[in-house]
Amino acid sequence: MDQLSQALVSGILLGGFYAVMVLGFSVIWGVMGVINLAHGEFLMIGAYMAWGLFRLFGMDPFASLVLILPLMFLVGYLLQIVLINRIVERPHLMTLLVTFGVSIALANLFKLQFTSDPRNVAVAYNGSVQLAGVTFPIVKTIIFGAAMLIMAGLHLFLQRTRLGKSIRAAAQNKTAARIVGVDINRVYAITAGICIALTAAAGAMLSPTQAIFPFMGPPFTLKAVTITALGGLGRIPGALMGGMVLGVTEIFVSTYVPGIGTNLGVATSFVLLVLILVVRPQGLMGGLRPIDAEAE
Amino acid sequence: MSTPLLTVEDVYAGYQDFDILKGVSLVVHPGEIVCVIGPNGAGKSTVFKAIYGFVSVRLGTVYFDGQEITNARPQDVLSAGISIVPQLRSVFPQMTVMENLEMGMYLEDDQARTRQRIQYIFELFPRLAERRSQTAGTMSGGEQRMLEIGRALMLEPKIVMMDEPSAGLSPLITRMIFENIRRLNNEIGLTVLMIEQNARQGLEASHRGYVLELGRNAYEGEAQALLDNRDVRRAFLGGS
Repeated sequence: MDQLSQALVSGILLGGFYAVMVLGFSVIWGVMGVINLAHGEFLMIGAYMAWGLFRLFGMDPFASLVLILPLMFLVGYLLQIVLINRIVERPHLMTLLVTFGVSIALANLFKLQFTSDPRNVAVAYNGSVQLAGVTFPIVKTIIFGAAMLIMAGLHLFLQRTRLGKSIRAAAQNKTAARIVGVDINRVYAITAGICIALTAAAGAMLSPTQAIFPFMGPPFTLKAVTITALGGLGRIPGALMGGMVLGVTEIFVSTYVPGIGTNLGVATSFVLLVLILVVRPQGLMGGLRPIDAEAE
Repeated sequence: MSTPLLTVEDVYAGYQDFDILKGVSLVVHPGEIVCVIGPNGAGKSTVFKAIYGFVSVRLGTVYFDGQEITNARPQDVLSAGISIVPQLRSVFPQMTVMENLEMGMYLEDDQARTRQRIQYIFELFPRLAERRSQTAGTMSGGEQRMLEIGRALMLEPKIVMMDEPSAGLSPLITRMIFENIRRLNNEIGLTVLMIEQNARQGLEASHRGYVLELGRNAYEGEAQALLDNRDVRRAFLGGS
């Protein structure tokens, strides 16, 4: 019983992180139909930024979000204008190749600069608290709380604000968004900025819990694909559900399957992805199709 | 005759090195319904795209309301007072009817006026008022078309351009849409420039018409005269 509730709590905490980790990937895909294979690298960059700020100024990784978010917004915004807006109308293969190229370039640039030595952010509050016989690691609990706040904020932004509505409009029908006067290129750039910033924030929050190295990104990109297949494109409740399913499944598999260990527990995600694609190629919630398949 | 609201003068336009329009001219006066007909590939849709800045005009000029708008950006054409209802479904499928109408006012960030305009649109289309909280993608084709027209009216445009308002609709719904266009023309003096594949019904709903062929003007005149013209009937109206 104790083991079960511990596994549930650990799974939910991990799921919360996955949910916020996937947002940037899922919203970029949903809004502009681009599958960002460099997703994990932006997470890696966020983690390195948190590490750098921690090492140089002793800045707390959660406090460093104040700097990382605006900076990475700018990076995403410029990347979209300089690169992705030029190819966004091209076939998927093109955007896959370009984002794959970005991913390789970023990982190797970081390797050149920082070597592949693993880096750590050792925060003082790296312990845990016991509550009703269940262990809550402090950092992971804070990540979970921050993840919920970020998701609620993004949800309100997309639903209530004029800019958020223009992003949803562009996602649902690009032609229609244009004819009501939405500047698509600008909306795409803002969307990319928000998404890259959120992804880097996820990396920064993750930094106290795992080793930081240049090639840490790809597993996160692959998990993002799984979660998106589970929860659907560009939908925040879907990201939350997909993240939870993956988090809880991973923890349960590593807790209950003998001899599998944490590392093989990660493989769960891909078994899950294959299973979903075999049973329902359109994704669990029909979400792997673009939100609006334009007839043009 | 009054001064024209929209003047397209000898326009050449198309893609890269290839002109689809090879000298098209047309005028629309305030309060008129003008219909452009012609076979597939005649360049009807390209006329709209050229006016709206979706394709670039290589030669010729477009005037609207006393200003030159040749090659203006879509959002500038829109703020000048030209709304468009495209041929393909253009509602925001996962937004409600209200939200779709609000998006029609995207360029003007004025909530009080938005509410007032939505009320006005609801008076014009009581059906939309009944469905205000419904998700647009779940409505019937005819209702979605009405919503598209309603949304195009939100900014109080001086002219609405409709690209095949009958596309994908049943004959009954098509008649209803054309009746609505006539009614808006009578009630609020709405000026309409439309393209129709369904040439006969389109002309019947209009005051004047243009026939395009191979990217050029072929015939023009009063809608009734075109409907009666033996050559036009034989070539474009599918009858003798």
